[in-house]
Amino acid sequence: MNKIIKKLLYNQSKILTVLIIVILISSISGIDWKSGIIHKGAFDSSIKILKAFLRPDISIEIIGVAFSATIRTLVYAITGMTIGLVLSFFTGIFASGKLQKSTLGRKFTKGVWRSILGVVRGIHELVWAWFFVAYIGLTPVAGVLAIGIPYGAALGRVFADILNDVPEEPIKSLESSGANKKQVIIYGYLPYARRDMISYSLYRLECAIRASVIMSFIGLGGLGYNIQLALSDLNYNRAATFIYFLIILITLIDIWSNQIRKDLV
Amino acid sequence: MENYKKKNNKSFLRFSLGLFLFLVISSWIYLIFVDGADFSVLINPNNLHEGKIFISQIFGFGTKSGLILDYKFMKNLLDLTLETLQISIIAIGFATLGVILSVIPAARNVADGSLVFRTNWLSWFRFGVIRGLYMFTRAVPELIWALFIIFVFKPGILAGAIALGIHNLGVLGKLCSEVIENLDTRPVKSLVSSGASQYQVLFYGIIPMVMPKFLTYIVYRWEIIIRTTIIVGFIGAGGLGQAFKLAMSYFKYSEVGLILLVYIILVWLADLLSGLTRGASRKELNN
Repeated sequence: MNKIIKKLLYNQSKILTVLIIVILISSISGIDWKSGIIHKGAFDSSIKILKAFLRPDISIEIIGVAFSATIRTLVYAITGMTIGLVLSFFTGIFASGKLQKSTLGRKFTKGVWRSILGVVRGIHELVWAWFFVAYIGLTPVAGVLAIGIPYGAALGRVFADILNDVPEEPIKSLESSGANKKQVIIYGYLPYARRDMISYSLYRLECAIRASVIMSFIGLGGLGYNIQLALSDLNYNRAATFIYFLIILITLIDIWSNQIRKDLV
Repeated sequence: MENYKKKNNKSFLRFSLGLFLFLVISSWIYLIFVDGADFSVLINPNNLHEGKIFISQIFGFGTKSGLILDYKFMKNLLDLTLETLQISIIAIGFATLGVILSVIPAARNVADGSLVFRTNWLSWFRFGVIRGLYMFTRAVPELIWALFIIFVFKPGILAGAIALGIHNLGVLGKLCSEVIENLDTRPVKSLVSSGASQYQVLFYGIIPMVMPKFLTYIVYRWEIIIRTTIIVGFIGAGGLGQAFKLAMSYFKYSEVGLILLVYIILVWLADLLSGLTRGASRKELNN
C-alpha cells in the first residue's frame, strides 16, 4: 500500500497531465458537432470583419460620437471605482481583523468578513447591474453601483491580505509608545501597505473600464453601446472605430499605471 | 543625479495624484449634472417595496412550490453547471495553447537577446506583433468578443468558449511574458555557454523555471473565467448564464436565486483551488 502511494506521489505530474487531458477531451465532447458549429456564410463574414479592422470608419461624425462615448465609459468606470475605493478602505480594514484585540475575535471577524466579500466579489458586475436595474430601473446609478460594489469587495480582500503582510516590528514599536488602534492603522500599516494598494487599484481601474464597456448590455451608453449598435446594423467598419478607441483608452491607462508603479519603487 | 531623479519621480507622482483627483471630480460632475444620475432612487419608497419583494423571492419566500425539491429543475441545473464547467475548460485550453505557442518571442529579454544571446530585426518584429496582439485581445472584454464571434460561430458552448479564450489569451500572454522577463538568467547562461542549442535552452532552461508560475496564472485565470462564463451565457453560449437570463426575463426570481447559489458555490470552489495552487507553487518556487 505504502509502495503504491509512493509510486503515485513520484508520478504525480504525469498523473496530473493525464487527468488534465481527460478533462479537456471530455469538455470538448460537450460541443454540439452534429448540427454544425459555424454559420453558412461564416467565411465571408469573418473576412468582412477582418477587413473592417483594417479600414475603420473615420468620418468626422463617427469620431465625434466615439469621443463622447469614450468620455462616458471613462466616467462610469471612474465613478464606480471611487465607490469601490471608499468601500474597500473600510472592508479591507475590517477583513484584516486588525481592529480586534483577542486572537479568537480576530479570527472570527476575519472569517466572516472574508466570506461576505468572497460572495459579493464572486458575482459578476453585469449580474449586479441586472439586479440594480430590476431594483431602481435603468439609470446610470445602476451601472455605477454595479461596478462599485463588487470592486469594493475585490479590492477589500486584497487590501486585507496586504495589511496582513505588513511586518510586525514597526507596529509593535508604535503600540508600545502608546498609539491607539486607529493611530496604529494610519501611521503604522497604511504607509507600508500604500504602494501595493495603489498598484492593485490601478490594475482594477483598467478592469473597471472594461466593466463599464459591457454595461451596455443592460442599456447604458458608452463605447459598448455604440459597438452593439454598429454591429446590429452590420456596420463592421464603425464597430472597428469604437474598438480602436477602447484599445487606445486601455493602453493609455496601462502606460500611466506602469509609470506610476515604476516610480513608486 | 540620483537626487534629481528622485525629485523627478516625486513630481510625476504628484502630477498623477492631481490627474486622478481631477478625473474623479470631473467624472462625478459629469455623472450628476450631464447624465442626470439621481441617487435618491435608491431610497424611493416604491423601489424599496419592489426590492423587498425581489429579495424575498430570490431566497424562495412567497413561491408556491419548493423549487429545490423539483427533480426536473435540479437535474437541469446540474446539466447547466456541467456545461458551464465545459465552457470554462475549453476557454482556458484555448488561451493556454495560444500562450504556449506565442509567449517566448513576446518576452523583452528574448527579443533583445539578453536571455538567449541571439537577436536580429526578426526577433524584434515578432516581439512587436505578439505584444500588439496581446494588447488588442486584452483590451476588448469577453462580451464584445462574443458579439463578433456569433457572426461566425453558431451560438453554443464553442462560441462562448472562444470569446472567453481570446480575451484571456491577451491577459495570460501579458502575465506569462512578464514571468519570462523576470527570470533568473544564470541557469540559462550556463546552458548557453556549455553549447546548448536554442531548443535545448528552451526545454531545459526556460520551461522548467517558468512552469510553476505559468500554472498558477492559468488556474487563476480559470477561476476568473468561471466567474465570467455566466455573462457569456447572456448572448446564447449556454450554461448557467443563459438559464439566468431566461429566469430574469420571466421574473422567476426563486429560480434566479437557486442559479445564483450554484454559481456562487462554483466560483467559491474555483477560488479555493486557485488558492491551493498558489500555495503549492510558492512552496515549489522557494525550494
